[in-house]
Amino acid sequence: AKKMIGLKAKLYHKQRHAEKIQMKKTIKMHEKRNTKEKNDEKTPKGAVPAYLLDREGQTRAKVLSNMIKQKRKEKAGKWEVPVPKVRAQGETEVLKVIRTGKRKKKAWKRMVTKVCFVGDGFTRKPPKYERFIRPMGLRFKKAHVTHPELKATFCLPILGVKKNPSSPLYTQLGVITKGTVIEVNVSELGLVTQGGKVIWGKYAQVTNNPENDGCINAVLLV
Amino acid sequence: MALYNFKKITVVPSAKDFIDLTLSKTQRKTPTVIHKHYQIHRIRHFYMRKVKYTQQNYHDRLTQILTDFPKLDDIHPFYADLMNVLYDKDHYKLALGQINIAKNLIDNVAKDYVRLMKYGDSLYRCKQLKRAALGRMCTIIKRQKQSLEYLEQVRQHLSRLPTIDPNTRTLLLCGYPNVGKSSFINKVTRADVEVQPYAFTTKSLFVGHMDYKYLRWQVVDTPGILDHPLEDRNTIEMQAITALAHLRAAVLYVMDVSEQCGHSLEEQVELFRNIKPLFANKPLIIVANKCDVKRIAELPEESQKIFESFEAEGFSVIETSTLTEEGVIQVKTEACDRLLAHRVDTKMKGNKVNEVLNRLHLAMPTKRDNKERLPFIPEGAVARKKRMEVDTPRRKLERDLEVEMGDDYVLDLQKYWDLMNASEKYDKIPEIWEGHNILDYIDPDIMRKLEELEKEEELREAAGEYDSEPESEDEEMMEIRQLAKQIREKKKLKILQSKEKDTRGPRMPRTAKKANIYLTVFLQVQRKVLEKEMTELGLDMTNKDDAHYVRRSRSVTRKRKRDESETPKSVARSRSSSRPPRDVSGLRDEKMVKKVKTMAKKAQKKMNRLGRKGEADRHIFDLKPKHLLAGKRKSGKTQRR
Repeated sequence: AKKMIGLKAKLYHKQRHAEKIQMKKTIKMHEKRNTKEKNDEKTPKGAVPAYLLDREGQTRAKVLSNMIKQKRKEKAGKWEVPVPKVRAQGETEVLKVIRTGKRKKKAWKRMVTKVCFVGDGFTRKPPKYERFIRPMGLRFKKAHVTHPELKATFCLPILGVKKNPSSPLYTQLGVITKGTVIEVNVSELGLVTQGGKVIWGKYAQVTNNPENDGCINAVLLV
Repeated sequence: MALYNFKKITVVPSAKDFIDLTLSKTQRKTPTVIHKHYQIHRIRHFYMRKVKYTQQNYHDRLTQILTDFPKLDDIHPFYADLMNVLYDKDHYKLALGQINIAKNLIDNVAKDYVRLMKYGDSLYRCKQLKRAALGRMCTIIKRQKQSLEYLEQVRQHLSRLPTIDPNTRTLLLCGYPNVGKSSFINKVTRADVEVQPYAFTTKSLFVGHMDYKYLRWQVVDTPGILDHPLEDRNTIEMQAITALAHLRAAVLYVMDVSEQCGHSLEEQVELFRNIKPLFANKPLIIVANKCDVKRIAELPEESQKIFESFEAEGFSVIETSTLTEEGVIQVKTEACDRLLAHRVDTKMKGNKVNEVLNRLHLAMPTKRDNKERLPFIPEGAVARKKRMEVDTPRRKLERDLEVEMGDDYVLDLQKYWDLMNASEKYDKIPEIWEGHNILDYIDPDIMRKLEELEKEEELREAAGEYDSEPESEDEEMMEIRQLAKQIREKKKLKILQSKEKDTRGPRMPRTAKKANIYLTVFLQVQRKVLEKEMTELGLDMTNKDDAHYVRRSRSVTRKRKRDESETPKSVARSRSSSRPPRDVSGLRDEKMVKKVKTMAKKAQKKMNRLGRKGEADRHIFDLKPKHLLAGKRKSGKTQRR
């Protein structure tokens, strides 16, 4: 054991703590291996002697509950998404007021403070008339998209913003916040439909706050 | 010419250490305190600084690694090949390439996040961005773990390579394993290479240095080479092959005549034939080692024929034995001579010599008559040279004399003087100062006379001749002495008094005393006190009205003539002996005083009206007043504003 002070000590202790937890777990597992325990899940509600135990009933119950879950899903709707509930972003948070005019009195311009997406052929309106400013530093073209089943992450180009849950204004502007559904170019994955056509666009939902992390992380909606 | 000092490469830290190092450095060297309520630009700057600092550190360290490691294209091909053999050129280049990529990636990450941070509008957002930036940079370094480990191992091995200078005179030893190459180098140089009975004792190149003909020579010992094709050779043998291929050296092919190495003579000859292409353009000597066990003459006919064929081809064969040291010196001298000749030849054939040759011209003097003039070598030089070879005992030194005589020894340099008349060596030399010979002024009896004088003086002193007489002084002197004594006493008393004096209250300056009426009276009294004291002491103080310590009234001193004034009546007459106040000093009468006062007031009026601090205050508070310089008449030439 080393004697340390300050920040290094904190880091070191954190490491040791994690190691200790792991060690304790493995030791406990080893100990458990040799003993026999009562498994509460295996005993049914009505106390039945061991030779009358019906194990199949248990498994069946599991199957039943799975079926119930599936039915519920179908009732809810087609689009169930990985991030269902998202905090709504107010206008003051997303749009910053820009004062213009000789005496800085006019306040009709707004600047977007969150990450946004503008298309390929985007050209600004004449600066005198543009009401919403989307700064170049906050424009992103690529997103890190995770395939939920493959558990692999790809860096795919964004095609467009499908829906922003906070407001249709944001959807139109292309503002990307947590929970936004975006369309990404998946030709890299090489997916093919039943008919033999190549899929090259799919929806993904953003799972992080891009303005805090500097990158867009999304989960593919399969 | 790239440096062959591979010992100066910076240590390559492992990935984990690198990250810890840089992050803790950032934490220590950048400011740590920030609050939510600070202005946003300050918060942004704080976090941007951290991101940039981390990036700078990584960048610097990685750049240093990249520059310190030698580029295989820049160094001598011998070292390039050696490094390829030892570390695999491709792997090496790849590792360095990866480091370069990592450096660029880190730069890009920093750039992006600094750009994003400009839009950060809260402390939380900026902090998260900084965290993301640092995290990304550290991940990049974590991915380089393998490259960094590999480079560290390369660095450690590289620093331990022997420093072989590829351009200087070198002797290269090669041959089968166990033939006696390492023993040879141990004999000839100060190197201490391990010698063991098993094969491949020497696993890498070793260097030793020796001197011959006042020059420094390198002797390179290689691991043994076995006889198989180039592709099958392992790393150890490849090092020997690399040395053979790139170093322009004299090659000593060592053979074991007694076949104690475990390989027959034919195998050794076979190996020789196979690596013969590597010996092109190099002076070659075949060293038949271990001749103490078996001489060539004792070998069977076929083996002897082999050696004869070598001789026929022009390779000299020398028998040696590293055990009995027979023939070792011979090999050395022959190899060195041949290499020197070879080097001179190469230089003559090369291009550089021509530049010099054009400018060199040996001038021979033309003969003017038939007289033979031979070079003159003094006898001493010839004798010395002879002596150097024979090692005769040298002449007797002063040191030897000193040792002999011990305490009696005196350094007598006069015996080495070279005078025309040898008997004058020990003559005394006259000392002359300012044209006079000192010897003339020395009394031979002076010491004796001094002693007599001293004795006499002692007697006189004892008799009391030097005691002072009290009656010799006259009346005057007595008086003076007494007075002086009194004065001294009084002085001491006064000093004591002044020390005891209680100085309370402010110390007024001298002039203030004169302005104070009570003080003037007091000072007048003091005059009396002073005179009384002096008479006590015995001085005559009667006619002292003109003395310097008497306070005089003004009328006694002043005598100036003035017109247009009243009868001379000093304003401060009431206090005749005091100094007048400043505002009436220098003025004759009341009328003048009044005039002066009004003048002063008038001069002040303008200053006060304009709010000035004094005469010299010319400051303008409003240089360009708006109401004058705005509007229709604002600019241009306008005479009235």
